[in-house]
Amino acid sequence: MLEMRGVVKRFGSVAALKGVDLALRPGEIHALVGENGAGKSTLMKVLAGVWQPDEGVLTLDGQRLALSGVADAKRRGIVMVYQELTLVPELSVAENLFLGRLRGLVNYRELNERATALLKEVDLTLSPKALVGNLSIGEQQLIEIAGALAQQGRILILDEPTAALSAAESERLFKLIAAFKERGVSVVYISHRLEEIFRLADRVTVLRDGERVATEAISEITPERVVQLMVGRSVRRYQRAARKPGAALADFVLHAKGLAPTRFTLHRGEIIGLAGVVGSGRSRVLSALFGLEGEASWNGHPLRTPRDAIARGMVLVPADRKTQGLVLELCVRENLALATLGRLSRLGVMRAAAERAQASRWISRLSLRPPDPEKTVRELSGGNQQKVVVGKALATEPTVLLMDEPTRGVDVGARAELYQVIDQLAEQGLGLLLSSSDTEELTGLADRIFVFRGGRIAAELSPPFDDEEVVRHVTGAILA
Amino acid sequence: MLPAQFWRNLFGRFGLLLALLLLVGAMSLLSERFLTPSNIINVLRQISINAIIACGMTVVIIGRGIDLSVGSLLAFTGVLGAGLAVSGINPYLAIGAALGVGLVLGAFNGALVAYTRIAPFIVTLAGLTIFRGMALAYTDGRPITGLPPIFFTLGNGLLLGIPVPIWIMAAFILLTHFILRYTALGRAIYAIGGNEEAARLSGIPVPRVQLFCFAFSGLATALAAMVLTGRLNSAQPSAGVMFELDAIAAVVVGGTSLFGGRGGVFGTLVGALIIGVINNGMNLLGVPSFYQQIVKGGVILAALLIDRLLARRRES
Repeated sequence: MLEMRGVVKRFGSVAALKGVDLALRPGEIHALVGENGAGKSTLMKVLAGVWQPDEGVLTLDGQRLALSGVADAKRRGIVMVYQELTLVPELSVAENLFLGRLRGLVNYRELNERATALLKEVDLTLSPKALVGNLSIGEQQLIEIAGALAQQGRILILDEPTAALSAAESERLFKLIAAFKERGVSVVYISHRLEEIFRLADRVTVLRDGERVATEAISEITPERVVQLMVGRSVRRYQRAARKPGAALADFVLHAKGLAPTRFTLHRGEIIGLAGVVGSGRSRVLSALFGLEGEASWNGHPLRTPRDAIARGMVLVPADRKTQGLVLELCVRENLALATLGRLSRLGVMRAAAERAQASRWISRLSLRPPDPEKTVRELSGGNQQKVVVGKALATEPTVLLMDEPTRGVDVGARAELYQVIDQLAEQGLGLLLSSSDTEELTGLADRIFVFRGGRIAAELSPPFDDEEVVRHVTGAILA
Repeated sequence: MLPAQFWRNLFGRFGLLLALLLLVGAMSLLSERFLTPSNIINVLRQISINAIIACGMTVVIIGRGIDLSVGSLLAFTGVLGAGLAVSGINPYLAIGAALGVGLVLGAFNGALVAYTRIAPFIVTLAGLTIFRGMALAYTDGRPITGLPPIFFTLGNGLLLGIPVPIWIMAAFILLTHFILRYTALGRAIYAIGGNEEAARLSGIPVPRVQLFCFAFSGLATALAAMVLTGRLNSAQPSAGVMFELDAIAAVVVGGTSLFGGRGGVFGTLVGALIIGVINNGMNLLGVPSFYQQIVKGGVILAALLIDRLLARRRES
């Protein structure tokens, strides 16, 4: 039905796509996988009309397709739902669904009726009058997809749709995708989660470094093979060697709104994993320790601001790299220097040589790609952006490292590299607090796991860990 | 063949300078008096006061602020310096005091912005009326004249054949450039303008840096006030009305983003020059002043349009 042939897209001198072919059949779910920076999003933005390809041909139903922009693509039934949501929080569900197609005086009764019908189709029991800003991320995502439906889409592109969804919300999304398929809509599904892909997709295309390395029917391929194709080497689940933590490094006492008074001791070379669902108090531990909310102390010394914490040798790798970790307009070198401006300057004047040396040290230590200190971080892939955030934190030479969801949205290869770095840091005697919603990550790295539920530590687990047991504690199933 | 990307980069980097050169070329075709050394010196002297204020404004805007109080602060620090000087105090001390007061009042704006989290637009809008009122109250609404000769030198003196205001402007631009590009403080200003949350989580003392930005703007304004007082050889409590808009115009025409985090002071100089050349050219051509304002507004709009187009390209 739709065919892309020899698509090339360059940004500056870098080719993000080097001649990619992709064919979509009617009513198929086509998974698109690859490491961050492989070109998945770029390819789909070409299909969605965001970018014009530098070379290559698109055909739809045998007709050559030259998309002038997103609106043009939408008119032809090609709709993309982005990782970042594009709803207006201050407007109602119904208004968002028909945004851009409201004309003149709005007949709210009719609008709400049509919205209700649409919501029913996506199995959402929501008032069309509800404000979008008050909904959960998962609900908002489903509304975006319902909006795509309202536009009579023929090709629906989903870019990591489950990244921010709970398990129940994901299930709802999968049902919806199946319903789309029934009607003959072709779905391109970008995801890092292979189990989803093997559950949903009919075919899978693997991209690597801007080239297509394979397109296979899902029944003809195994998850291990897909991962091999993605990274070009084989990756196994990360499991660090057993290790004995050293002497006590820090006694922490803390409390915050929604978090009961908590105290614990972190040892040298120890990784404490913090588990728990969103809102369990897990993330508040890190923000309280870093002086962002509530009160906290380290061996009796108060931690009131991030500056206090950093001065004492503790630094945070925040959960959201784009809004909390990076200054996107600045280059890699400048971002790496952000937390160490004092050390990299003399009498307030930046020492250019020292700054460059620091940049190249962390670029090579974290295998940043491309290894270019002058590249604006906005242009890096998600995994490489995360490496910059980690490098910036480590440049402060901390003794305690706080990490909040350090591998969220990071591809398999970069993830393994980050795990190795985390492991090495513990080997060097740092103490780490690792807050994560990825159970495998916690059981693979931690020496102890604190499970948070209802604002307190509900369980403290020691190795050997059993993933299922951790999940049972996290979800509260252990109580049932 | 050069790819389109090459021209795009070239335009992105030197587009402003190109625009200025085109403008200069056009003006010199339209008026043979334009491209004479004396007229060029004239243009530079005319823009010097706006350019000095705009240096401070650049720093504030890169840190994602805005300072609307500069016009009024210029009037107050001007009459204060002049008033102290005519009261018999050592004129150098009077000038120093005026600069110090500019710095402190700027810091006052900055403290409100940094520690109360009131929007800079509101804080400095209040400053705009407060400082004007202070200037009028201090002088009882009358100009101050009979200034010691140092003021005349500041505004009209020559050094190596070039007017002193141009030297002061050049020195202040270099100082601002040095702070923005070569100091830890400058880096912190870009970081805060680009992403305040990330800056804070990196341990940058955000409030202190914001306070500095506004204090620096106050200092720049007071310095401009001394030059203006010297130019006119008198200090007017009504001076500097709408100067904030000229300064902001120079900054944004110069390519500094109103959303913070991006830009620089050399761009601001080019922006001030573009506006200055247009003003000068229209004077030479005898365009009535009413129409001059319309043209000036159009140029500012055009600059912002180009900036948006370039930004869109960058983000996509």
